[in-house]
Amino acid sequence: MKCRDSALRRYGIGTAALAGAFVVFVLPFIFIFLTAVKSPADAAAMDFTWPERWFFWHNLVEVVQARDYLLLLAYWNSTVITVFAVALLVVFGAMVGYVLERRQSRWNKVIMAFVLAGLMIPPAVVPTIWVLQQLGLFKTIHGMILIQCAYGLGFSILLFSQFIAAIPRDLDEAARIDGATPLQIFFKVIMPLLRPVTVTVIVVQSISIFNDFTHPLYYLPGRDNVTVQLTLYNFQSQFVSQLNLLFMNILLVTIPPLLVFVFFNRQIVAGMTAGAVKG
Amino acid sequence: MARVELNDLTKSFGDIDVIKGIDLVVESGEFCVFVGPSGCGKSTLLRIIAGLEEESSGQILIDGADVAPLEPVDRGIAMVFQSYALYPHLTVRENIGFGLSLTKMPKAEVRAQVEAAAATLQLSALLERKPKALSGGQRQRVAIGRAIVRDPKVFLFDEPLSNLDAALRSRMRLELTELHAGLAATMIYVTHDQVEAMTMADRIVVLNGGRIEQAGTPMELYDHPATPFVAGFIGSPTMNLYTGDTARRMGCDTYGIRPEHIVLDDEGCWAGRIRHIERLGADTILHLVVDDIGEMIVRTDGQTDHVPGASVRAAPVPGREHRFRQGDAFRIASG
Repeated sequence: MKCRDSALRRYGIGTAALAGAFVVFVLPFIFIFLTAVKSPADAAAMDFTWPERWFFWHNLVEVVQARDYLLLLAYWNSTVITVFAVALLVVFGAMVGYVLERRQSRWNKVIMAFVLAGLMIPPAVVPTIWVLQQLGLFKTIHGMILIQCAYGLGFSILLFSQFIAAIPRDLDEAARIDGATPLQIFFKVIMPLLRPVTVTVIVVQSISIFNDFTHPLYYLPGRDNVTVQLTLYNFQSQFVSQLNLLFMNILLVTIPPLLVFVFFNRQIVAGMTAGAVKG
Repeated sequence: MARVELNDLTKSFGDIDVIKGIDLVVESGEFCVFVGPSGCGKSTLLRIIAGLEEESSGQILIDGADVAPLEPVDRGIAMVFQSYALYPHLTVRENIGFGLSLTKMPKAEVRAQVEAAAATLQLSALLERKPKALSGGQRQRVAIGRAIVRDPKVFLFDEPLSNLDAALRSRMRLELTELHAGLAATMIYVTHDQVEAMTMADRIVVLNGGRIEQAGTPMELYDHPATPFVAGFIGSPTMNLYTGDTARRMGCDTYGIRPEHIVLDDEGCWAGRIRHIERLGADTILHLVVDDIGEMIVRTDGQTDHVPGASVRAAPVPGREHRFRQGDAFRIASG
């Protein structure tokens, strides 16, 4: 009896947790999907019902073709920003983390304070736009790349330096005795060992940059500069809202990050927790 | 093969002097062991020779050339680390050939040299494995292979056996000694284990507090320790050392007698009681409490019928006593 009680309790709590997670995470997604395949009139009701008729393909084509294939341009822009920003984040995050961890100096605390400030202090939009304008980077894709890089760098440096702290210094010294230059030590010995944390940084940062709505909105105005999240404005205005197309758009821009997350989930956790316990 | 010469070498970390003026010559082809307790500066000294730490003052000559301005790779040294420091993401082959591949040597030549080194160390079957798939002893051999393949003038070993279990350590001691004989290379070996020092060294350098206490062959150090520190450090079980009144009665400031140089003899000058007995099979270690002296360790043969609590008399073997006086010249001629 006692055994059955504890089994019941165990599975009961598990089921309740799963049900809670389902409501929070899966139901909204189902709602998005169902609304995305409805007719305009059907979708305007905004209720959780089965569609009367399925317009999946029709809505999909309409969303992609809207405003002269704006969504495709947005995909291109977002991909360019994400790929370059994440590449810079990985290279600089790892390099700064490595130097901070390996070369102790009195400047370390100052630099670390800046890194933490980058994490804690919210970015001020207007001064940033002013700086971008002075540098001739406002409304440019490469300006946006640098902005994303700057905003993500604090987090990347922290992750990388924590991970590098767990790599024995003997490896650097052995490589030095083997005749490796500092750059060779970094790229041939240290960088390959950073794979788990690099995957973490790539996944976390690419999802957040790809999904970023506000920063492109502030720093990257202009029709040609549109990013995926900004295409949501295509179907929503003060007077007309095409909710079925809006939700189809949401569905389309949600899928890439979701796929990345599903495939790399395990490695993200591995990278986050590595070095936490001596292995 | 090279001669290593250290002239008045010092090293300080901030206010702390770790190495306090070391003069030493390691002859070409010599197996020299630095031994001492933790924190005596032996590893720091090795790292200074390797070029991983910078000396505060003094001179390091390898084959007569001052190597102070040179990077580790240009000093003609190879080092084996306590942690082995194998590159975890590379195979055994790549680990051993890492240094060679950086020199832009043709791949075929790297391959040939790696395989030659692997054959010397019986690693040929393991070349495609990653370090995590190797046992401790195999990892140690890969680390040595990485050193051999560079064909260095001087091999530096930083406590390479301390992570191995006792049986493996004893086998690796033999292998390293044979390797030294085969390569006839100059080797400097750091350890805190006096057994390793005694069994492998051509010459032992005992370090204490950043200074050389004594340098000499293992038997010189055993037979004629210059200071009470060396006397206590070399030999196992450690020498019985007495100061104060006991030593003054013996005509010195510190009196020492090794456990194996005490005989149990009914006519012996020391009377005492057996406190504890350790049977090692071949030997028996008796812990005595001797009247007017205190604790004394005696090594006797394995087949002994002593029991704890029994009264015994003991005497030193003539000519094997050690007497030391405070000051610069510690040792008084033994006898």
